[in-house]
Amino acid sequence: MAYSNFTLDTVLTTFQLEIVEAMDIFANIEPVTPSSELMIALRKKVPVAAAINTEKARSELIVANVLFELLEQFNYRISLFSGIDFNVDAENGLTGMCDFLVSLSPMQSLLQAPVIALVEAKKEDPAPGIGQCIAEMLAAQRFNAEKGNDIPCIYGAATTGTEWKFLKLEKKRLHLDMEVYSIDRCDKILGILSSMVEQKA
Amino acid sequence: MAYNNFTLETVRREFQLEIVESAGVFSETETVAPREHFIADLQEKVQLAISIGTEKARSELIVTGVLFELREYLDRRISFFSGTEFNVDSEKGLTGVCDFLVSLSPILSFLEAPIIIIVEAKRENLTLGFGQCVAEMIAAQHFNAEKGNAIPCIYGSTTSGTEWRFLKLEGQRLHIDRAVYQITQCDKILGILSSMVEQKA
Repeated sequence: MAYSNFTLDTVLTTFQLEIVEAMDIFANIEPVTPSSELMIALRKKVPVAAAINTEKARSELIVANVLFELLEQFNYRISLFSGIDFNVDAENGLTGMCDFLVSLSPMQSLLQAPVIALVEAKKEDPAPGIGQCIAEMLAAQRFNAEKGNDIPCIYGAATTGTEWKFLKLEKKRLHLDMEVYSIDRCDKILGILSSMVEQKA
Repeated sequence: MAYNNFTLETVRREFQLEIVESAGVFSETETVAPREHFIADLQEKVQLAISIGTEKARSELIVTGVLFELREYLDRRISFFSGTEFNVDSEKGLTGVCDFLVSLSPILSFLEAPIIIIVEAKRENLTLGFGQCVAEMIAAQHFNAEKGNAIPCIYGSTTSGTEWRFLKLEGQRLHIDRAVYQITQCDKILGILSSMVEQKA
């Protein structure tokens, strides 16, 4: 059992989460203007990623660039991890590799609490990544608590690079945003990610 | 059996390759100057990739950037693929996912012959990646021949992003370059890759 085995249904049942689904969880968040470098890069890279159409290409050409921009926007006060093992609780299946993980610690050589956001990349449809992402968010919640670095909310995103779905976990209550944000609204996506880092989302 | 099961020794035996090892197979290659903003961007991403340290981060933050730059430099006359399944001959173990593939066709939506370069990403030990990379190069040779688009040489690279090693397969003769190129010599790496595309390397 690992993160990737969880579906939305099994993660909700196993961890007895209460789910709140809404259209506008992140709707009022201010957009953040992307740098011109990111805009230029995305204009070229998004069509290439969509054509190659593997999870790997989508992660490399879109997701990694967006998260790198987030790091730049926060002047490296936060850290970004990609493809690291995040083994928290083997008994409950909270083990495996996370696609992307953002921590509020600036330490880049070692993952430190608090982990604030988990991003799960998928090839075609972000929805199948939601169960897995929530399991990783629960693991982050435990990891932070164990390190004595509790924060009230953990955030998540399931994305194909071109489409982004956002999640918020507050204790046992999971907020699932029904909105799907397209990479065309990169300013909105960056705004949501930034507000997550600031714990205002 | 798949590409990642091959070692240099097993691939040599299985496909009866003659190995020629020398220093500086590609040392005479002209450099290609990357665009200025690419260099600036790369410096920051290299540091981050080293800190994160995973193969995934190194692929996302360095290797993809270099291959994307190569495609731009060549006016998008070539295509590159990332994480694509490349099943050519299951009986001989020539199946699996290739980290990166470069084709001389500009089409990105599906893989067309001739494939010219195979790039295998590794977290650290580049020599350990040789067997897998060579197996993929042999598969590319078969693939090109089947499509009636045989080209004299197939090239390969194993890379951690920060360090690059290069290979050349001509018939059954495999040239291994003993030189290790650092990402700080990005102009040299781009020069070698573009001379491969021009089939002059």
